[in-house]
Amino acid sequence: MNVDFDPSLEAFREEVCAFLDTAPTDAIREAGRKTTSVFAPFEATMEWHRLLYARGWAAPAWPVEYGGTGWSLEQRYIFSEEHWKRDLPPLLPNGLIMVGPLLMELGTPEQKRRHLPGILSGKDYWTQGYSEPSAGSDLAALSCSALADGDDYIINGQKTWTTLAHKANKMFMLVRTNRDGKKQQGITFLLLDRTDYPGMHIRPIIGLDGVAEQCEVFFDNVRVPQAGRVGAENEGWSVAKALLKHERGGAAHSPAIRRKLDAIRAAARDATASFGGPLSEDPVFQRDLGELEAEVASFEHVEKLVLSGHALADDPAMPSLNKVMSSELSQLLSIMMTRVAGIDALPLQLEALEVGSGVQPLGDPFSLVAMPYYLNTRAASIYAGSNEVQRDLISRNLQTLRA
Amino acid sequence: MNFEFSDEQVMLRDSLSRLLDQRYAFELRRRIMAGQAETGIWSELVDMGIVAMPLPEACGGLGGSASDIVAISELFGRHLVIEPLLPSVILTGRALARFDPAGPVPQWIADIGTGALRGAFAHEEGSGTGASSTLSTKLYEGEAGPRIRGSKKLVLGGGEAGVLLISALSETKAVCLAAVPADAEGIEVRRYRALDGRPVADILLHDVAVDRAAIMAGADAELEALLADARLALAAEAVGAMAVLMATTADFAGTREQFGRPIGSFQAIAHRLADMKIAYVKARASLLYIAALADSGRATSRDISVLKAQVGRLGRETAQGAVQIHGGIGMTDELPVGHYLKHILTIDGLFGNTDYHLREIGRVVAAA
Repeated sequence: MNVDFDPSLEAFREEVCAFLDTAPTDAIREAGRKTTSVFAPFEATMEWHRLLYARGWAAPAWPVEYGGTGWSLEQRYIFSEEHWKRDLPPLLPNGLIMVGPLLMELGTPEQKRRHLPGILSGKDYWTQGYSEPSAGSDLAALSCSALADGDDYIINGQKTWTTLAHKANKMFMLVRTNRDGKKQQGITFLLLDRTDYPGMHIRPIIGLDGVAEQCEVFFDNVRVPQAGRVGAENEGWSVAKALLKHERGGAAHSPAIRRKLDAIRAAARDATASFGGPLSEDPVFQRDLGELEAEVASFEHVEKLVLSGHALADDPAMPSLNKVMSSELSQLLSIMMTRVAGIDALPLQLEALEVGSGVQPLGDPFSLVAMPYYLNTRAASIYAGSNEVQRDLISRNLQTLRA
Repeated sequence: MNFEFSDEQVMLRDSLSRLLDQRYAFELRRRIMAGQAETGIWSELVDMGIVAMPLPEACGGLGGSASDIVAISELFGRHLVIEPLLPSVILTGRALARFDPAGPVPQWIADIGTGALRGAFAHEEGSGTGASSTLSTKLYEGEAGPRIRGSKKLVLGGGEAGVLLISALSETKAVCLAAVPADAEGIEVRRYRALDGRPVADILLHDVAVDRAAIMAGADAELEALLADARLALAAEAVGAMAVLMATTADFAGTREQFGRPIGSFQAIAHRLADMKIAYVKARASLLYIAALADSGRATSRDISVLKAQVGRLGRETAQGAVQIHGGIGMTDELPVGHYLKHILTIDGLFGNTDYHLREIGRVVAAA
């Protein structure tokens, strides 16, 4: 057994640190400090994307032939660790982690040529059109329709939880092309070259945190080219499952989670306990912090075992296990953040949270983000397959293996 | 990074598993716990080299590493083994090997390695934490040499031991370890069994004379190392027990029918099974990671506390879930489920329970 990264990677770590210490602009750093969601503040984060692209590091998980870094899992973990340690905004995931890798696997040569460069460079941002008002966890129940008409499809219906659709210039989506047979059949995966086709209407949704991060998108006889179809017509369900594999696979979450715990520890030293004295010396707080530390440590151990290639990595339930563990740990951390912030979490400070607003927060920077992060993170156990659905999968897998 | 057992460890685990399947089958458990079953398992463990394995090579052992101990202890947990490998060899034998090799010490180590002599680590005094700050047993200078006075509780294997390794404070409050023959004058042993059938004893030390050659003074670091080994080995046992609980409960939920369908098809049961899997994956990952850290000599007391707290908390969750899913039959002594619950509860109580370790982690982390 051996817990160490390959020692030759120390030079790599230094190279990463040198860049991360110097390259980000003030706006990018501010965006990182004000990140209260999986989706960091849009404009500054896209600026960071383009700086990383210029350095050749925009896509740590992409193979070299598509302009990625070709880094090993260990290198990606090191990069992620150093990135989070500096509170930098994580790059937006839809292009880099979802549709990009999907196109590498299933796109036509023309689709790859047309779309991958813009995803990599940060010229384009993609939104995901999956959920509908009546199709959430039961995604296959989707009904937004596409009718073939010449070389086009004509789309009618509605999508919702299309994250950042109002900022995106591209969209990938699932549409219903056939209503006969099983509901998983008759679904088709489409790429939309624009988000401003005639008949397309985007309405932002204000979330619990007061921010318009989500949107709903309405389609009224929207005509799009069939050339944007990935895979065969009516075969979109298997395309979506392939995408899910990319969405849930690979990226380590523990560096981000560790960073949150570090921030909590630091803030607790300046906070006062209910019955006096520093919060960090309060026995009840210490016990609860100890439990969080233990849970964070175990999650790090799980991810390190997986990235070392331990047999655990081949557990078919691992994507679901990781999703449940990371989302629920984020929620526990978010609760602890609001506890440590105390009444400083109560002022509503939407303007101070905006990058470049120049509005000074009332409390410290930790307290500014505590409540918005808590509120936004309620979604972690709902999106990307609710944790109830994940537990169904984990349990089914466990019972099948034993049967 | 590599967290797999080595080929040698896998081979050893395979043969140990085969042995325990035969000689430690659950059907024998009631008789094993009553001390009536002649399993012959101890001499088999000697023959397989497992008893000597944890000792340094210079003492006739195989220089067993932390991951070696974990590899074996995990299987002990799977089979509810209550043989005294931990108190005798992993704790007493290995600690004695770090004493100056003088007086009776070398012979004790040799005899522990052949299995002829059993040792026990007499440390607990009632706080349940293992912390050296709670020690009150005294090692003092009597008229005819050093003597030891105090009382120890819940000493694993204390009733069967021929030699006792005792933690104590010197007259200057320094942490010491002293080894004495268990039949020395002034030692009173009260034997009983712990919740999970482990033979244990309370040991009263009435001004017992100690051979000066069998004292290690300034033993703070040594005591910490002993506690770390004990916690690591017990955590491995707990993870082994969790694996069995998870597997047997999933089997049961797939076959037990109520309302005309397997109970595992109900979401309330399914989600509890999923939580058992999540708990197991976390506990086992921490076990392997921290074993690897310990192999490289870098496991801190915080790492060990994380492991002990996680198996205590997650183990209890798992075992309680297993009893609940089994329903009424889970409440009976006939089924292994309750035995695993009691194994896990006993492990949690030894050398600091979940609450102690969580508070300790939080204290260290908050100050860091």
